[in-house]
Amino acid sequence: MKSHQNTFKTINHEVVIKHPGEEDSVRAILTERQNEAGLPVGYSMNVFSVICLEEVCKIIPVKLFWNNIGVYERYELEAGKTLEKYEADLFEPQDYEKLNYILADDNSPFKDVYYDDILTAPDEHGEEGVDALSGATALELDDKDTVRGAALTCFTLWHWANGEVVSIIKNQTGKSVSLEQLKMFILNENNTYFHIALKELINRNIYSKEVLNTVIKKVLKTPSLTNSAFKYVDKALQENYFYAVNRLFFEGGKIHRLAAIKSLVDTDYSIEKAYLDNFGKQLTQVDSYQEVAALLDLLELKNKNSASVIETAIQLLDEDFLKARKAYWVLKTKSLTPTQQARVDKFYEKYQSRL
Amino acid sequence: MKHIVDLTDRSSDNWIQMGSDEKRTPKRDKAIITQVVVIGGGMAGICAAVAAARNGSRVVLVQDRPVLGGNASSEIRVIVHGVTKLKSGLPERETGILEEILLLNRFYNEQHSFTVWDHVLYDFVTREPNITLILNTQCVRAITVDSTIESVLCWQLSTETLLTIQGEQVIDCSGDGLMAATAGAIYRTGREGKEEFNEKYAPDEPDGWQMGATILLSSKDMGKPMPYKAPPFSIKFDADKTHPDRKIIPFVEGFWWVEVGSNDDIIADAEVDMHRLMGFAYGVWDYVKNSGKFPEADTFVLDWVGSLPGRRESRRFMGDYILSEPDQINHKIHEDAVAFGGWPLDEHNPGGIENLAEPPSFWHEHFEKVYQIPFKSLYSKNITNLLFAGRNVSQTHVALSSSRVMGTCAVMGQAVGTAAALCIKKNVNPRTIANQHIVELQEQLLRDDAYIPERPANDALDLAKTADKIYASSISSGDVNLLVDGVPRDELGETHHWQSNGLNAEVVFEWHNPIALKSVEIKCDTNVKKNIMMLKNTRENQAYTTIIPPELLKSVSLELKIDGEWVDYGTQDNNQKRLIKFNFEQVEITAFRITCHETYGAKNVKLFEVRCYN
Repeated sequence: MKSHQNTFKTINHEVVIKHPGEEDSVRAILTERQNEAGLPVGYSMNVFSVICLEEVCKIIPVKLFWNNIGVYERYELEAGKTLEKYEADLFEPQDYEKLNYILADDNSPFKDVYYDDILTAPDEHGEEGVDALSGATALELDDKDTVRGAALTCFTLWHWANGEVVSIIKNQTGKSVSLEQLKMFILNENNTYFHIALKELINRNIYSKEVLNTVIKKVLKTPSLTNSAFKYVDKALQENYFYAVNRLFFEGGKIHRLAAIKSLVDTDYSIEKAYLDNFGKQLTQVDSYQEVAALLDLLELKNKNSASVIETAIQLLDEDFLKARKAYWVLKTKSLTPTQQARVDKFYEKYQSRL
Repeated sequence: MKHIVDLTDRSSDNWIQMGSDEKRTPKRDKAIITQVVVIGGGMAGICAAVAAARNGSRVVLVQDRPVLGGNASSEIRVIVHGVTKLKSGLPERETGILEEILLLNRFYNEQHSFTVWDHVLYDFVTREPNITLILNTQCVRAITVDSTIESVLCWQLSTETLLTIQGEQVIDCSGDGLMAATAGAIYRTGREGKEEFNEKYAPDEPDGWQMGATILLSSKDMGKPMPYKAPPFSIKFDADKTHPDRKIIPFVEGFWWVEVGSNDDIIADAEVDMHRLMGFAYGVWDYVKNSGKFPEADTFVLDWVGSLPGRRESRRFMGDYILSEPDQINHKIHEDAVAFGGWPLDEHNPGGIENLAEPPSFWHEHFEKVYQIPFKSLYSKNITNLLFAGRNVSQTHVALSSSRVMGTCAVMGQAVGTAAALCIKKNVNPRTIANQHIVELQEQLLRDDAYIPERPANDALDLAKTADKIYASSISSGDVNLLVDGVPRDELGETHHWQSNGLNAEVVFEWHNPIALKSVEIKCDTNVKKNIMMLKNTRENQAYTTIIPPELLKSVSLELKIDGEWVDYGTQDNNQKRLIKFNFEQVEITAFRITCHETYGAKNVKLFEVRCYN
């Protein structure tokens, strides 16, 4: 086992963390553990749980462990140390297990609970202290959500395990890994890696075609990441930006196409006519009315009076009525060939009451 | 020549003539003719008056105190609970007019001041052009002819004026219901026996017990030891004999269980009880300060003590239906449901603090989900044009133990106010509304952002449902088609919203054939699963937020598609409401587009409903 351990390396980071139980930010040492390839595999930090009885407070050091994206994994106590409840009761073995379960729930009720609530309403509080007349909404935690008699310990450790340290770990992991590892992150099934990677790529100002292709590959497979991806793509240099938008539009589904259109509407880059004409040809290819409407709005904004677009729009007059009507209103303002004009006039005659 | 005024001349004075028996009454009478008279300016009365006024009726709102709010006012300081705590610990907020009030209070009274709250309510009522607000005036008598109230007589304390108010529909939201009682409306007091309504929490035999009234107090920390000497009128609190549920901590906000009940005529006893309550309130404070058991109170002093006891129960007027415990705990579906409740069955013990051995409240049961309140329990069975809302409605004592909280009273108020306006429009009485027009009443309430549980809206006039295409710029949960499903909140675990993925977010409604349109109405998210009522001691937690709900839509604009072009129809910035309305001159359109620009903090916008009308 020794040789195995030698392949890992640990790096200490001094971090400053806000904890809702502490008035001032707390300085702590976050220990990063990297494998032989320099990939962070986990983090740990020594924190403390405070138990106050009357005027005397006891500080129990606890070591917390996370994976490389800040997901809490487990805790350790120093040998011989124990956790306590109110009234000096000791933790039972099942309480230690339950504490681990509570800390692993990143959506625990402790997320929204305030420190004062814990202090003023210890969880052995009776069922009702509240009448229609009284003000306080007493804190009531379900048995499954807390270790009875140790709400303050749960609260303190939950916020250490799931508080600011999570984003610190994510950022640190991003900083630690190589470009190759970031590309792996992009494609990882766990989307948290994707977000870490994109944030770090923006930090490092990397928008190469190779990385863009990796992002595109991932997003085509996972449309829910489209908006996040565009926050990155939008920052790419002109050539690569147009390349990426083009790929996402022509290879993607409705979500990708709508996001691509929106990006082109918003971009400050000037767009070549041929590029937009190519998009215009899709007017009769995309399925939904929403896309046709968005695409026509884009083309009106940035490629007005393109003969190619007009020709495609004319074809829309034969399609589903909403698409046809949208095309009609665009075409109505254009200089058209006699044949096109005749087609538009015919549409008007037929549908004038529905325009 | 100098004009000399003889200050002793009483030749034209009403009073000297009265003294000499020349005149029986002072001639300072005033007659007012209106459409809807609302007696009582508590939460129920406010909502009734506003609902009737907004639905087109001229309204007179009569309040016997100088401030609005009743039990919630700075005079009494009870928290506006409603469905603030289901079994889950979370609320199911009322929405509707009450929501508007609570949000307004968030914007203008972040400091949670009760006296400012009084005037938030004043502001809210006086914004309505159709309401005449009459303060310091008690309605003392109804003039009833053939079981119909023709007018009500009111005494205005500040001006020594007798007001005769004539209205077509009369709503008693006064709690005690003196006006309704003098009209001859049938009422009950006391507790029903178990058998009558099959209520498991009722006593075996009926009796006269009514839950008591309470005097509240509050205290503040002076940061240094502050000794206390109780006044002679205080009554010693016998802590050793009390049931442990009479908790002293937290003592900062007073003690709801400083309560005196009655097994006979609680109204007749009110002044005697008030003196006793003062004694008990100061007695408990003396115990806090001087028993030696609460050293944490050493630096605390009384900051405010009520003088006007807050009443929980007295008359309950009988309607065509009597709401009872089985309706509530079995969640009975009422065809005529117009309101809802969900506060626990919080029945206080007979006697209050004078019955120390029993717990101050039995807390019989908490609800998993809300229950419906039927319209037939909100109007009189024997007076044709009398409606009521609040604690005096047609219900049993046990049912009252849950429905009495002011949030629930408020939704009843909105229901009867809307019903009264409908009565005026149709020239009918409430019973006819119940039997022939109940769907219309329910639809109007739902349109006005009231919530009727498990009763989706289906307004035939709403054109949004007829749209041929509804789509959104993005989506993170729900679906745009849920915006027209008639359910204005996520209900019983089912999703009924559309939520964007980021901002700005657009929703487009489009029709094949042009439609005429003059209004678009949007219901946005305010997170009804967190309380926002005013508290004396606020804390952010799972069930309560101290800030403006971050979900609330702050900035939204509307565009209409007219002749193929999007035309800007305005932006509402700094919105403060859940129900957002755009009204405009009727115009022919083929589509409208709502753009949600900003919330009060949430990164996505969530809408529950979009409607449009011509």
